[in-house]
Amino acid sequence: MTTHTTRVLIADDHPVVRVGLRNMLQADPGIRVVGEARDGVEALELARNLHPDILLLDLAMPNVAGMEALREMTAGNLDTRTIVLTGLIDKRQVLEALQLGARGVVLKDAAVEHLAECIRAVMQGQYWLEGRPVQNLVQVLRDLTTQTAPVPRKTFGLTARELEVVGLITEGCTNKDIARTFGISEETVKRHLTNIFNKLGVGNRLELALFALNHSLLPVTEGQ
Amino acid sequence: MPGTETLLTPEVFDQLQEAMAADRAGFTGLYRDYLADAWRTLKLLREAARQQRKDEIRDKAHYLKSSSLVLGARMVARHAHKLEERARACELIDELLLDRIADAVTEVQAELAERLGGGVLPAGRTAA
Repeated sequence: MTTHTTRVLIADDHPVVRVGLRNMLQADPGIRVVGEARDGVEALELARNLHPDILLLDLAMPNVAGMEALREMTAGNLDTRTIVLTGLIDKRQVLEALQLGARGVVLKDAAVEHLAECIRAVMQGQYWLEGRPVQNLVQVLRDLTTQTAPVPRKTFGLTARELEVVGLITEGCTNKDIARTFGISEETVKRHLTNIFNKLGVGNRLELALFALNHSLLPVTEGQ
Repeated sequence: MPGTETLLTPEVFDQLQEAMAADRAGFTGLYRDYLADAWRTLKLLREAARQQRKDEIRDKAHYLKSSSLVLGARMVARHAHKLEERARACELIDELLLDRIADAVTEVQAELAERLGGGVLPAGRTAA
């Protein structure tokens, strides 16, 4: 049976961090550190040249910051899987990193304890967050999106039902569709629309849809 | 767990020591470099604080926090994080917080000297 050695590139501006991580990882027979980068530019360059399996990426680096490097890595269609190293959990940042293609997030104070395990999990196709493999990424993303959603948002005095009507208008629904959805008459829908137009100062459905999109005027859903 | 935080996270220190078991001198050197770097960064932080150069304070504090987290110096990391956040919020940076970082580095240094011997001390530093 052949065992694959995982090739790792470390990107962190702090030499002590790089040395600490390298020494710790090299103690694992299944891992080989193939390069070290001091900033985002070097990280991208080395990733393109060395084709590592894993890039350990610090988010706060000089020149090109980690998040920007991650964006470029994803855009460049490199096979390298990125694990983000961070000083603290900032849910918004974690969400952004995952959306940009990161496969794992490891806290720096847990790096010595978890990093090798995280690398193995990511190499097996899993995601890694909060010190363990993630079984359901969709759920995690949904939770993070909910937790990082900006609240409260401005509703311009619209009632919950009026906001629901606005939501359906932005989806292109007709009055008939809206009436059917809510089990109300078309006359009631028209009354809702008149109230909405008056409150927002818009003159027609198109203006309403644009206003709603520009002001994130969507109905409150469960969990928000 | 509140009240049980140690200056040096034992799990981090032990695992790193185990990983570098074949290179004892390298392990000591790693912590010596960390301490030397921490003192150097602290000096730069004091200079930046005198002129309230917030961007520089934020970056240097983050830098110190980073290595402190990886090597398990949690108290230093915690104070550095506070400093980083204050600089980010453009709050006035007083000497007190810098003194706290210096105290934490001093204590970590003493603990490291106890565990690894005098070889861990950067040039011109004592364990006391």
